[in-house]
Amino acid sequence: MAKLKHMFKKTAVLFRDREDRNQEKKEPSAPEGLWLKCPKCGEVVYRDDVKAHGYVCPKCEGYFRIGTRTRIRMVADTGTFQEWFTDLETENPLEYPGYEERIADLQEKTKLHEAVTVGKCMVNGLETVLGVCDARFLMGSMGYVVGEKITRAFERATEEKLPVVLFTSSGGARMQEGIVSLMQMAKTSAAIRKHSEAGLFYLPVLTDPTTGGVTASFAMLGDVILAEPGALIGFAGPRVIAQTIGQKLPEGFQRAEFLVEKGIIDGVVKRQELKETVWKLLNIHQDALQYIHYGDTQNVENLPEIRNSRGKAAGCDKKELTAWERVEISRSKERPTTLSYVQQVFDDFLELHGDRSFRDDGAVIGGIAMFGGQPVTVIGQQKGKNVKENIYRNFGMASPEGYRKALRLMKQAEKFGRPVVTFVDTPGAACGIEAEERGQGEAIARNLLEMSGIQTPMVSILIGEGGSGGALGLAVTDEVWMMENATYSILSPEGFASILWKDGKRAKEASEVMKITAKDLKKLQIIEKVIREPEPANEENLPEIAEEIREDLDGFLRKSCQKTREQIVEERYERFRRM
Amino acid sequence: MFRKILIANRGEIAVRIIRACREIGIATVAVYSEADREALHTQLADEAVCIGPAAATDSYLNMEQILSACIATKADAIHPGFGFLSENSRFVEMCEKCNITFIGPTAEMMDKMGNKSQARLTMIEAGVPVVPGTKEPVYDAKRGAAMAEDIGYPVMIKASSGGGGKGMRIAFGPDDFEENFQVAQLESVRGFGDNTMYIEKYVQEPRHIEFQIMADKFGNVVQFGERDCSIQRNHQKMIEESPSVALTPELRRQMGDAAVRAAKAVHYESAGTIEFLLDKEKNFYFMEMNTRIQVEHPVTEMVSGVDLMKEMIRVAAGEPLSVKQEDIHLQGHAMECRINAEDPAHHFRPCPGVIEAIHLPGGNGVRIDTAAYNGYEIPPFYDSMIAKVIVHGRTRQEAIDKMRSTLGELIIDGVTTNVDFQYEILDNEDFQAGEITTDFIPMHFNL
Repeated sequence: MAKLKHMFKKTAVLFRDREDRNQEKKEPSAPEGLWLKCPKCGEVVYRDDVKAHGYVCPKCEGYFRIGTRTRIRMVADTGTFQEWFTDLETENPLEYPGYEERIADLQEKTKLHEAVTVGKCMVNGLETVLGVCDARFLMGSMGYVVGEKITRAFERATEEKLPVVLFTSSGGARMQEGIVSLMQMAKTSAAIRKHSEAGLFYLPVLTDPTTGGVTASFAMLGDVILAEPGALIGFAGPRVIAQTIGQKLPEGFQRAEFLVEKGIIDGVVKRQELKETVWKLLNIHQDALQYIHYGDTQNVENLPEIRNSRGKAAGCDKKELTAWERVEISRSKERPTTLSYVQQVFDDFLELHGDRSFRDDGAVIGGIAMFGGQPVTVIGQQKGKNVKENIYRNFGMASPEGYRKALRLMKQAEKFGRPVVTFVDTPGAACGIEAEERGQGEAIARNLLEMSGIQTPMVSILIGEGGSGGALGLAVTDEVWMMENATYSILSPEGFASILWKDGKRAKEASEVMKITAKDLKKLQIIEKVIREPEPANEENLPEIAEEIREDLDGFLRKSCQKTREQIVEERYERFRRM
Repeated sequence: MFRKILIANRGEIAVRIIRACREIGIATVAVYSEADREALHTQLADEAVCIGPAAATDSYLNMEQILSACIATKADAIHPGFGFLSENSRFVEMCEKCNITFIGPTAEMMDKMGNKSQARLTMIEAGVPVVPGTKEPVYDAKRGAAMAEDIGYPVMIKASSGGGGKGMRIAFGPDDFEENFQVAQLESVRGFGDNTMYIEKYVQEPRHIEFQIMADKFGNVVQFGERDCSIQRNHQKMIEESPSVALTPELRRQMGDAAVRAAKAVHYESAGTIEFLLDKEKNFYFMEMNTRIQVEHPVTEMVSGVDLMKEMIRVAAGEPLSVKQEDIHLQGHAMECRINAEDPAHHFRPCPGVIEAIHLPGGNGVRIDTAAYNGYEIPPFYDSMIAKVIVHGRTRQEAIDKMRSTLGELIIDGVTTNVDFQYEILDNEDFQAGEITTDFIPMHFNL
């Protein structure tokens, strides 16, 4: 019942006779660029806030596109960037009218030579080749000059034995240069192959937007591929796809997170952690950190401190558990999972995702961790701790894409001479229509074949259930160790009883005859080592158990670093040849 | 002088500012949230701009929206009132960049005084007494405990960015120190995103005495005497009065001089308040400076006869102070009761709702600042204060009597208020005798 509207006399009415007293004062106005409009939430935000927040919207965490100089400042140590190849010029192969003028105009406006800037810099003291694409320059499109600069950057990196870090942001091939642009895709890819064959590391970081011919060439060819949160990444643009198929595209389609989920890229990295992550990856991939250097003086001081816990003759007077009891322990919810072991045994685990073709399998985790000063590739089946986690982890039952991810990471380890440690903990490989459609058998078989030839030290540790082919798919290694209460079998005792005795309920009985315990398998020479569990392993006693594993792992690496790559593969062959 | 001022606030203070502008002949722009479409300030101003949804973060704290409104209406200054953006130095910077005068101190002064550790150091340098305490910020409970030991218990643990009792705890001994430290720090981290703490001696049974100052751009600083704001519940002031019965003319002069020194030390301009704690032995310690106009400023206006709001606007426009120190003679005794829509019987929970009927008393020496009117709906989104009743008498006793009579005439129908609780305070013997400390309400009402 507010009745005040238009009731009060206005100030101007009260002071009709007063002259304007403020003629000289400037009118209020917002200076150019004081505020920015967030490209994601559309909110107006204060420029200084955005800058201070790493060009991330303080309101919605949306990412602003950033220019080349800002990007270099964000990654390179101050003053270390030296730009290369700024004398290249386009020949305008299509004689496209106005093209040269447009380039000159953009050079003037952006103060950039072309849509990509390449050069050399330091990242926290580590030398690397750095390339940055800039979407302000004809949408970062790749014509001759861009392709040539990238190619030469890789060639020079190969020559100088340097890694390459490349920030992509591009609409794709440059239309104005026609087929010449298309050929840049092949040219850059070929240069990357040579760089890779020289054992050098390449890290593309995909930023918004990375599409078309750039996605279909150098953006997707990294040893590790990272992307910025929310970045649009795809071959065909979303509008084109929607028009072609006449459907609305799902939420998050072609965004960085979507690509991680689909197994195409390794992960998403926030700007706040960008430099640290790039440095970490460059550090891990240094030549001096190959397995053959394990135990070199430079590494010795970083080696884990070994506490002699072996002295305790624990377990001698312990009551011997039955096989079935061990089966139950191995399946227990209290049993530590792969991630717990990784956390206890290693430092700085950096998880990498995806099989690069279909999906990131939650049942298999993998990545790179540090063991003392030694980078190690760590892979394992991961069970969940509750129902929600287990739906994502599929109870540790890996799908074909899980085995393919594991193989991809092993090959990556091989390239950089990095030892591999696998943790096996699975009731078996995923069983279902989709797993078969994508070739579960083929995926496991491929792993058995390829693992037998991986030229780097590999060891696997069975920590819980070692179910059949699903377990073996991660266990064709130089040595296989088993936790005292882990099991390793042709199939589950239930399955064994059901096939041989037509009665799955006789599982307990079956477990006793199947020889599935660590002790039995050691006797059969299927495994090399039993890791003692004074008490069944749980999160509380894990640190102590991990200590023993660290000690064993140190011994294994000391032994392995004496061997050549060929020797390692030969011995692995012999190991299985004997069986 | 300004042609047009935008008032970046709501409620009675927005109305107060609009009135001051109207008296000087400055056009006004109100900004309002969707919940304040019918509010008095929205209607009273010459123009009104909606700046967003009800939640304060989307409206009265939305700097971009407020500045856009200011540019669109071509207002040449913004008055922030109190609360909201009044002590936000970043907002002050933004105003400056947009060619808009912020009616208040500069960002630099605000930062100097807003950061409590820094303000303390500045005061020590200026020879203004401070409560003994840590010189450096403390981040860790263990280190803090050692420092508390040096200062001597009881100690007050305070968040550097805190205010209004948030991030503030008292520890009486080493046994309860760590727990209190952590609670205070957590509150500060959650409330202000800052884990910077400091520790000082807890002054027992103190009075809260504050001095109103006003400074112009020419280095003139005038103090307008004190206000005794000891009657507080949960660090929220309830009754303020001037002068304080605790001050002798000599002590008033000393504290007033200290207040002026404090303002000069940061080259302050605009209205400000220097808060002191006064202990039983009449030692006074600088507590903090409020770099804004305050809720209780009318108390000072009543005894000094100076319109602080108009003075504040004039000073912001670059005019010199219209009064000198020797012109200030405090007359009689003024007292203010804050009337809140809250229920004292239920932990003072806010009681928003429709004011079915309101009757505002009047008469000699009675002033009521409010934005409430018949049929006004108090929105649930903001502060629950709906009116300030201020009276002026020749003596403290006359002021108390006048306040009791006035509150007895005040009718607010439709919502529960704290008027009856204010009565109880006024009727209290200790209050009448002037025996008031900041513990008054906890002590007498067990609150």
